[in-house]
Amino acid sequence: MNDIIVLNLWQFALVYLLLIIVLLVMKKCRINRTKLLLIASLRMTVQLVLAGLALTYIFENPHPLFTVLYLMLMTVFAVFTVLSRNKGINKRFKVIVGISLAGTGLSIVGFFIMAVVGVSLFNPQYTIPISGMIIGNAMTGVSLGLRVFNENIHAGRNRINTLINMGVTPERILIPFVNQALETALLPTLNSMIGMGIISLPGMMTGQILSGTMPTTAILYQISIIIAICAVTCLAVFCSLFFGYKTLYNKRQQMCDY
Amino acid sequence: MPLFTLENVDFKNIITYPRIEIQQNALTFICGESGSGKSTLLKLLNGVISPSDGIITYSGKNLDEYTPVMLRREVLLCGQSAFLFEGSIWDNFNKYRDYRELPPLSPEEARKYLKICAADFSLESPCDTMSGGERQRVFIAICLSFCPKVLLLDEPTSALDDTTANTLMSNVKEFCKRENITLIVISHSKTLAATYADYIITLSHHGSERHGHKFE
Repeated sequence: MNDIIVLNLWQFALVYLLLIIVLLVMKKCRINRTKLLLIASLRMTVQLVLAGLALTYIFENPHPLFTVLYLMLMTVFAVFTVLSRNKGINKRFKVIVGISLAGTGLSIVGFFIMAVVGVSLFNPQYTIPISGMIIGNAMTGVSLGLRVFNENIHAGRNRINTLINMGVTPERILIPFVNQALETALLPTLNSMIGMGIISLPGMMTGQILSGTMPTTAILYQISIIIAICAVTCLAVFCSLFFGYKTLYNKRQQMCDY
Repeated sequence: MPLFTLENVDFKNIITYPRIEIQQNALTFICGESGSGKSTLLKLLNGVISPSDGIITYSGKNLDEYTPVMLRREVLLCGQSAFLFEGSIWDNFNKYRDYRELPPLSPEEARKYLKICAADFSLESPCDTMSGGERQRVFIAICLSFCPKVLLLDEPTSALDDTTANTLMSNVKEFCKRENITLIVISHSKTLAATYADYIITLSHHGSERHGHKFE
């Protein structure tokens, strides 16, 4: 395998020219998002540069504390992103979502790093990129699941109230909403698995191949990470909604404001 | 002894009810302007909401002492917005009875309840193309089929013409008398109340009851 070609900074800058094409198309179609495009490109660049610098420092000084700190920051950021995208839920629900996302995410990361890869959890080279993929996907899944759950609960208000009035338990009424949101949250992951290897070479595998890893090794990593992502999405959404929906009613089996 | 009593009941400082008594095995109409707390009263009676203050008793016992879900099955609230699932009338009977963990009805029985509610439609009719008034009657028929001890109807005739409203009220009243079901009905129609009520409770704007007329 060849060694990786390090991008020359000037050549690298050429890629920003592509953004001008995006800008022109947006102008032509009167999409008033120039500012967003600029901010997004800028943020992406700055954040990644910072991440690159931080990772370089951490790899050169592999102290367990850095890895733990990085993991914690990532988890907290994921939790806050989910909650800021789903503002309408009550306080207890938010706490449950936070615990579910952090708990399932970190458990799967631990399992993956220690049991599947077989290295120490404090090894930054493995823990940081892999936990990023796992927790990032859990975040997307929970965010989607919560949004669908909330929308359906609001759209189904009449149905819920009617059944409550008749003496049906809130549990019996709300579980179908939980199931449906879980299904919706799982579908993108499952669908992407179907096309994998034919329509797309996933990012992690592409990265490894580019940096000189044998494709046979890269696919093993890729397969295991995809399964881990599927599992973490399922668990994180399930725990968030299954424990969360119980905050929608009180001991007297009355629906709280939702 | 009255079936329900309300003593100094207050709901979130928005509505206050003075003493109200509701008699067993009778038809009580609840009248009053919008915002006087009629629907809230029905919700309080079957425990889907709780009073912020005051005491409600049912059969001499505080409402809090009942298991909420069991109470709601006994004191059934048939709300204003008749929600029906997708599918036919027959599907709806089955779906609702399944939710209530009751065995399915025979088609004859289902037809009997539809007839009581002046909803003589085919069991196969799809519900999504029905008018508001039709859905309302089908929904009341489904509620009747649960045979509760107390039936709370919130504006059951709001979408019906006078003739259909009268048929429905007189059939439902007769059925409830026969089955010893206490019936409590909210209605804006003074004529309907005057014709069918055993008792009328009028709520005034701040929720205070003006008087409970008795009609024999």
